[in-house]
Amino acid sequence: MTSCLVVDDSRMIRRVASRILKDLKFDTSEAENGQDAIDQCRVDMPDAILLDWSMPVMDGLSFLKELRKEPDGKTPVVVFCTAERDVLKITKALDAGADEYIMKPFDSDIIESKFQQAGLI
Amino acid sequence: MGAVLSLTPSYYEALKRLTLELAGVNLGADHTFLIETRLSSLARTEGFDSLTNMVEELFNTGESRLAVQVVSSLLERDTHFNTDMPSLNKLEDVIIPQLHPIHKNGTIRILSFGCSSGQEPYCIAMALDKAKEKYADLKFEIVGVDYPSIALDRAKSGRYTHFDVQRGLPIRDLVTYFERDNEDWVVKSKIRNMITFEETHLLSNLDKLGDFHVVMFRNALPHYSSPAQVRVLRGLATLVKPLGYLLLGSNETLNHINFGFDPLALQKGVFRKRQEKVEPVIEDPSIKKPNGRKTFERAKRNLKDVDKFTQSKTG
Repeated sequence: MTSCLVVDDSRMIRRVASRILKDLKFDTSEAENGQDAIDQCRVDMPDAILLDWSMPVMDGLSFLKELRKEPDGKTPVVVFCTAERDVLKITKALDAGADEYIMKPFDSDIIESKFQQAGLI
Repeated sequence: MGAVLSLTPSYYEALKRLTLELAGVNLGADHTFLIETRLSSLARTEGFDSLTNMVEELFNTGESRLAVQVVSSLLERDTHFNTDMPSLNKLEDVIIPQLHPIHKNGTIRILSFGCSSGQEPYCIAMALDKAKEKYADLKFEIVGVDYPSIALDRAKSGRYTHFDVQRGLPIRDLVTYFERDNEDWVVKSKIRNMITFEETHLLSNLDKLGDFHVVMFRNALPHYSSPAQVRVLRGLATLVKPLGYLLLGSNETLNHINFGFDPLALQKGVFRKRQEKVEPVIEDPSIKKPNGRKTFERAKRNLKDVDKFTQSKTG
């Protein structure tokens, strides 16, 4: 089963996204900010990461830059999932190593489509 | 509790028959919900107080413009970017490479038949833009046709919602080929300029469109009645140049109705038109040639028949 770490400071968003991903047969875990996520990745690197941008302690972009420096940190497919819709911000995320990008609000069709685009389904 | 429906059963049946008669498309078993949702919005746009008023006006006056609007609304398909990728990839990986050496320094014309809200022609244009260095000695003309409809208007505007652009479109294509406009995303002009959209009755005489090296008609054939399938495939055959290509969906065939195409070996859904003109092959004996009857009058008669039937059952 493909593993996916859902990183978002909103408990509700984590729950909704995890439910959708479980329906898509992913084994999910959750983190509430970038620091929490990087700690979890150091213990057990997931196959995929669904990543919010604006979070306390460590934001999504800083997490992604840190992640890509880790041993095996290039392995996970990272899909940003954020309210940021500015083209410059999207480009910044892609340049930092994001594989796909979801603009909130999202639904199950969008998550499925984007995970397909990223080669996870 | 079920949704409250505003039309009488006879009107649903009449609208379903009108769509079958005018466009050859069977709406299917769940047509009441489809009719309610699609036509309620059209009724508001057309300035009617209610859906019932619009449908009564349609069948009382038989106004052809309104009939076309109603049927077009019912035919709109929920299309996504990059639907049926294996089939779409055949254009780039199989068909264009075969046409390229023959048409160097020429123009390749591609038709998206039944393009709805335009995602297919825009996907073709984006794919060809990515391959522009490889095909620097080729020009491409892309034409998208469908019934006049709100969907086709969207196609012409190239404007898509936040949800539309996240279904099937890779994020890199979004940032490369679209511009954000408030909540919407609009296709950049360099891609829009590669495409011409035209309003066409898909079962009418299609000569005015000219002929094409590639005609794409993917995953729509099963929605048509058997006589309409014959009619639409015969029409498409006249649009494809000799040795040109017809691209259907990955799982579609021409086994029962074939107007002079050969399937390409190992390439599902790709058919090449033969050089010589041949008689059509129609293997299903239940399929009759369309006879050009006055379809709207017939639909109106059907409505009266249904009304009589309903009255006899309720009265």
